[in-house]
Amino acid sequence: MIKKELVLSLKNVKKIYQLGKVELVALKEINLDIYQGDFVTIMGPSGSGKSTLLNLVGCLDFPTEGKIFLKGKDISLMSESQLSQFRGKTIGFVFQEFNLLPQLDALENVALPMVFQEIPIEERKKKAKELLNSVDLKERIAHQPAELSGGERQRVAIARAFANNPEIIIADEPTGNLDSTTGLKVMDILTNFHKKEGKTIIVVTHDPHIAEYSEIIVNIKDGQIVTNHKESPKVLWDK
Amino acid sequence: MFGGMNEYFKIALRNLKTRSLRSWLTIFGIIIGIFLIISLLSLGEGVNKAISEQIQALGGDMIMVMPGGDNLMTSMMMGGDELEKEDIRAIERADGVDVTISMSYRGVIIRYEGESKFAPLAGMSFEEEVLDIFKRFQGWSLSEGEWPRVGRREILIGQQVSDEMFEEKIKIGSQIIIKGKKLTVVGALNSLGSKTDDGQIYLDINDYYSLTGEKKGSAKMVMVKIEDGASLEGTAESIREDLGKVRKRKVGTDGGDFSVITAEKIGEITGSIVGVIQFAIILFAGISILVGGIGITNTMFTSVRDRTREIGIMKAIGAKNSAILKIFLIESGTIGLIGGLGGTALGLFLAKIVEYYGQVYPVFYISASFNPFLIIFGISFSFFVGCISGFFPALKAAKLKPAESLRRFE
Repeated sequence: MIKKELVLSLKNVKKIYQLGKVELVALKEINLDIYQGDFVTIMGPSGSGKSTLLNLVGCLDFPTEGKIFLKGKDISLMSESQLSQFRGKTIGFVFQEFNLLPQLDALENVALPMVFQEIPIEERKKKAKELLNSVDLKERIAHQPAELSGGERQRVAIARAFANNPEIIIADEPTGNLDSTTGLKVMDILTNFHKKEGKTIIVVTHDPHIAEYSEIIVNIKDGQIVTNHKESPKVLWDK
Repeated sequence: MFGGMNEYFKIALRNLKTRSLRSWLTIFGIIIGIFLIISLLSLGEGVNKAISEQIQALGGDMIMVMPGGDNLMTSMMMGGDELEKEDIRAIERADGVDVTISMSYRGVIIRYEGESKFAPLAGMSFEEEVLDIFKRFQGWSLSEGEWPRVGRREILIGQQVSDEMFEEKIKIGSQIIIKGKKLTVVGALNSLGSKTDDGQIYLDINDYYSLTGEKKGSAKMVMVKIEDGASLEGTAESIREDLGKVRKRKVGTDGGDFSVITAEKIGEITGSIVGVIQFAIILFAGISILVGGIGITNTMFTSVRDRTREIGIMKAIGAKNSAILKIFLIESGTIGLIGGLGGTALGLFLAKIVEYYGQVYPVFYISASFNPFLIIFGISFSFFVGCISGFFPALKAAKLKPAESLRRFE
């Protein structure tokens, strides 16, 4: 068996928010290893700390205590700008609200992460077109987000997430704002990318149906991982 | 370093367009500031130029004696007081005085070929000796016609009156009507380099008295040519003394209600007045620009707040702090730049209108100076103000934490 590369590792991570004089412990002693090619679902009820965990896993925030290693690099040792660039290259994001820039059209939105990586204009245009093609939006490249349906916007967002060919895709409730048919379509696209290109997918959701797509389910409650299973994902949520 | 500038411009400009009302209101604030700076400075420069031309025209060896003491500028403008015969005689007798030329002036309506215009009429002696002084010291020369003769109701006109004041050029030998009296134009002067002089109509002083009803022998100004070898300041001092005695005896005051001025002195007075005016212009325009700049800062802070989530997204997908800073600086710089372009154009337009009215009514002649440096300054200064005003909001945007920005407004 080929040993998989450890792409993301959280070691004794704690996150505390200071709300005035009150300390709010959002995450306690989190230890989590995610390997290349894993399809992980992070689940938990509202207020469980899953959004905080998503921010840390996505390197959008620093832990109060503990260490986060992204591809073996300790993110706390990086400057904000270094981390931004590293994150842009290594992680792609898909958000529940799509989060496309309203001023840019579909092609420009998909090309934007490549702008920040200073990829030449011709190359990024070509790549963005290919990606939009792969999510069946060839005809919609010149449309602005306001002119696209919810499902189309999410597909643009997925294409954008893959722009820099990242190793990890983090999707925060990717089907939360879509109807069930469109949601299934979006999940199929993500699964396809996972299977064909061996990308690591981390999905945060409270929808057990979405969890069915994954191989690993991380269940979180009161800021702690309560279960971390690789088998029979369906069983976990019911427990 | 400039990677992605195209997209940064696109994001910034489209954002300005999306919030067009807010953007235009902010731009309008800058337009007003730059408009004030450009119009006032270009007119201020014009005033300065007109004054130096006037001083130049006075000639270095001439002394001017005018009624009115401390408030010289007011008496020049209002022309209230007059110098009497006795006063003029005192000036003539003062040490160092060679020739005195009495002059009076007032604004009149002149009619030519059915058209009426307002113009300054100057009464002066047309004796040969006097005309010689004007030719020698003020550069008078005829463009056409001949010099007017004494007591013939003949008039001499400045170049601007001759060529530009009326729709048709005034012909030599034709008649113009002032206060119902017909006067014959016998000569036109070449340009004297000063628009005020070029806009004058000259009439023999005695004809002037009978036409205007002003007291015979009085004058609003006496020009003095000093004797060869006499000192300018010494002669001026002696006039001051002699005239002072006469005025004191006559009016019973301390004798200070007249002014003896040399070209140098006028330069000093006007220089200081223009200096004060320019300082005030810069101060007010500066305040106005400051207000415009605060407007930009306010708009940009609001924009950062509105777009916090957008900033979070850009950071999440790899934007460095510097990229965010650039986008917001482009936005505020563009506001400044458009404001600068608009303000400069509007300022120059207003200056041109004032200049145009000055040409129609030469009494108020003022030229607008279209200095290319001023234009470049107006545009680049407003761009700079835009960048400076937008810097702190842009810095705030650049320093936002991605997780917090994405969480906000959720």
